[in-house]
Amino acid sequence: MIPDRQPRAFLDPQALARLAAVPLVARKPMVGGVSGRHASPHRGSSVEFAEYRKYVPGDDLRRLDWRAFGRSDRFYVKEYEADTNLRLCLVLDTSGSMGFGGAAQPAAGVRGAGTRADGAAGMRRIDYARRICGTLGYLAAAQGDAVGISCAADGLVRSLPPRRSPAHLRLVFDVLDEAVPTGETRLPEVLHELAETIRQRALVVIVSDLFVEPAALESAFGHLRFRRHDVAVFHLLDPQEMAFAFHRPTRFLDMEGSAAIFADPVEIADRYRRALDDYLAGLRRLVLESGIDYHRVLTSEPVEQVLARFLVGRAAARGLR
Amino acid sequence: MTFLQPWMLVALPLVSLPIVIHLINQRRFQTVPWAAMRFLLSARALSRGYSRLRHWLVMALRMLAVAAVVFAVGRPLSRGWLALAAGGRPDTALVILDRSPSMAERDGAASDTKLATGRRQVAEALVTLGATRTLLLVDPDRGPVEVADPGALESLPAAGASAAPADMPRLLEAAHDYLRSSGAGTTEIWICSDQRSNDWAIDAPAWGGIRDAFARLPQPVRFQLVAFEAAAAANVAVRVNAAVLEGRGDERRLSITVALARDAAAGPVTVPVTIEIGGASSTVDVPLSEREAVLANHAIPLGAATEPRGWGRVSIPADANAADNDFFFVFDEAPPRRTLVVAEEAAAARSLALAAEIPPERGLAATATIVAPGALETSGLEDAALVLWQAPLPDGSDRAALEAHVARGGQVILLPPSRPEETSDRTFAGVGWTAWREHDPPVAPVTWRTDRDLLANTRSGAALPVGGLVARRTCGLAGDVVTLAGLPGGHPLLARAATSEVEGAAGAGPVRPVSNVAFLTTTAAPKDSTLAAEGVVLYCLLQRAIERGLLPLSNVRLVEAGGEAAAILRAGATPRRLSPPVAGAVTEPGWTAGVYALGDRLVAVNRPQAEDAATLVDDARIDEAFAGLALTRIEGQAGGTGRLVQEIWRGFLVAVILALVGEGLLCLPSPPRPQTAAGGPRAFEAAA
Repeated sequence: MIPDRQPRAFLDPQALARLAAVPLVARKPMVGGVSGRHASPHRGSSVEFAEYRKYVPGDDLRRLDWRAFGRSDRFYVKEYEADTNLRLCLVLDTSGSMGFGGAAQPAAGVRGAGTRADGAAGMRRIDYARRICGTLGYLAAAQGDAVGISCAADGLVRSLPPRRSPAHLRLVFDVLDEAVPTGETRLPEVLHELAETIRQRALVVIVSDLFVEPAALESAFGHLRFRRHDVAVFHLLDPQEMAFAFHRPTRFLDMEGSAAIFADPVEIADRYRRALDDYLAGLRRLVLESGIDYHRVLTSEPVEQVLARFLVGRAAARGLR
Repeated sequence: MTFLQPWMLVALPLVSLPIVIHLINQRRFQTVPWAAMRFLLSARALSRGYSRLRHWLVMALRMLAVAAVVFAVGRPLSRGWLALAAGGRPDTALVILDRSPSMAERDGAASDTKLATGRRQVAEALVTLGATRTLLLVDPDRGPVEVADPGALESLPAAGASAAPADMPRLLEAAHDYLRSSGAGTTEIWICSDQRSNDWAIDAPAWGGIRDAFARLPQPVRFQLVAFEAAAAANVAVRVNAAVLEGRGDERRLSITVALARDAAAGPVTVPVTIEIGGASSTVDVPLSEREAVLANHAIPLGAATEPRGWGRVSIPADANAADNDFFFVFDEAPPRRTLVVAEEAAAARSLALAAEIPPERGLAATATIVAPGALETSGLEDAALVLWQAPLPDGSDRAALEAHVARGGQVILLPPSRPEETSDRTFAGVGWTAWREHDPPVAPVTWRTDRDLLANTRSGAALPVGGLVARRTCGLAGDVVTLAGLPGGHPLLARAATSEVEGAAGAGPVRPVSNVAFLTTTAAPKDSTLAAEGVVLYCLLQRAIERGLLPLSNVRLVEAGGEAAAILRAGATPRRLSPPVAGAVTEPGWTAGVYALGDRLVAVNRPQAEDAATLVDDARIDEAFAGLALTRIEGQAGGTGRLVQEIWRGFLVAVILALVGEGLLCLPSPPRPQTAAGGPRAFEAAA
């Protein structure tokens, strides 16, 4: 791996070192351009036996299974799995709501928010997303996979197609650095667009707060799966959003628009939590039905822990080689 | 609602304090950028209706609590359920008590009378109100008397029960006169009454003047009418219509006519009527099936040993009203019904003498003597009840004798002389004759007074056949007269001198402005009228005049309680009460029922007959009488234990507590929901 001379705030070298022990694998066969460590739908020259096939003239005689000929007096050719590389498409939500959290939010009045030993509590959601995207991109590039990134807000703000070169990874990091949370969320439309533009199978990792209509999300996820992409979602939620423990009359300003709501939090807290519960329950049902690799994350959780859970889960499902 | 410390109400704007605090709090809000707006919008939409209602309720309860504190500090007074008149502590409280017998009604044997209840409740109210001056008005002639201690109103002798009716118009006039002359400040007039028709005389024309007079007073005057409703219990009143001594010697007996009356017709009952004379009593059962029953001419043998003059009492068992269960009567040998007829011609006066000398009842002696003008002084005028004068108006010694006769209560009826123009310069009682007036065709009376005086209806309510009379010739009158019977054109047939010249005993003041001098403008001669031919009217007229003339001659007298009776008893020697005193009644003679000895004379004082009629004045009529004045009606009930006015600050403190408790309940946070994903990070982690 070519070292990045520019320091990136969203990369933690020690965490990267620890996470590198677990490979990033796709849950579905990938169609790559070069040999890699991911399963391919095509037969190849790996050591993983795939199947027997009848010999046809022109086949390489070295791949004839002479033992099978001895037993059956017929010519069979042994075929092996092909290993290929992975296209990792990072989709970063850069809408205004991703700027929530951190020093911008009043810490007073918020009770029950989780705290981290490393002081990461109250991290902005966009920063948390940068860490996830940066770390995954680095790990993918380190194992020879192509990495690309798309920023989604009120449309497809920026997009870099997956490339395997280290220079491209630096561009990806630059995009992460430059991402500014602004505008409304039109994530479903962006996902539909990406589903059409990513021509080959890829691992699509979406990092967002998913504050959109679940029905629209369901349609977008279905579209991606129809295109045979492996879809993983990191759903980022802030502890304050979960607890909603304000005590004074508060004017809530919409981070994705100019709307403002004046309310007494004590009065509406119960119904707010009920609405949030309903939303989360609906989302859970949606991802279960569509087979999405869904990870609900509180921004107070350590990023490394979240990613370790993600990587180990995938590796366990595939079986480490 | 009134307040003892109304100036504390200046703090009422503090009621807006919760609103001000709320507005200040609204301005102290924090602004938070928020991402999960969709849930906020959803939550706010869900809670908007209830939240707003709860908000308003909390605000209202807080304001209510502050208002209740302010009211409590202002020491509010409750005046029954209906009192809403605003005002503070009055300068003067004037209590008009209806002490009439109907106010002795009870609502059950154990309860207080209406009067006692009203006295107590008004006394409590006055103590609570703390007026600077308290006055009691029960007698319009004497005016209000100051009460040093309002709390002692119950025990004041003047506030006791009376057998006299309450003349409410005159009482109010007396109150007005006092207020106008005394210059009292803010005044509350407390009227405690059961709204009986005879006490209120609501049809009297005086009400208009009373209303206007009070409206013109410079000081604010509020009326508080404590109106007692009729008691539910049945009540029977007893009365003696006649007690006549008949026979002589061992045959002497008292013929007594007793009348029973009850408030409303109910089932037939038998009322035991006890007649007590000289310590001996007998009981007669009188069936009462309708509203009234009469025990007529019940004979009680007296015997020769008993004094011819005496008194007795008729009583019935206790019922709702004890004040009408007794009736006192007196009896004596009737004085001779002596009439002097002074006539120019003896023949012309014959029909008059004939009508006067026929006694109305068996056993009575009646004589009529015809004398010539000028012989009056020597004809025994001192024991004559009536003088019929058909001659030129008296002059000289006749005039002096006749005036003396009128002054001692004797009756005089003057008829026109044959040639009145010859003595047209003479007057008697301020009235003189003018000239004869022929009526062709003859005329009949078109109006006559049926409620009182010589042509009044009979006791049974039947009218005298005055309209059947025909006058062919009448003589004109000059002077101020009150017409008792009028002919077409307004000419009087029978009239009384309008101003009485009758005076009581020296120093006793006027007895009552009743004239004893009447003028009949025609004669009984057939050429003048049909008075003799239609003899009933003439007979009744003369007999009634004789009855009135007998009163000062008789040694016994039956009078109605009130100012007239008090004046009669004050006029002579010191009255001595013969009947036992009535508990709780006024002690002044003449105002309570009983029998008094006034020298040799016996006077029985009883309630007037109108008190037995339980007719009430409608509230609407009273409201009409007080139109334009501040009148508050407070419903009272005999034996009621409630207070008319009481401090109710405790109630307001309770309201404060209730408001604060309600506010606290509304502000309680919702019960914790089962922890779910949105319940916090830990629950979230578990769910994830």
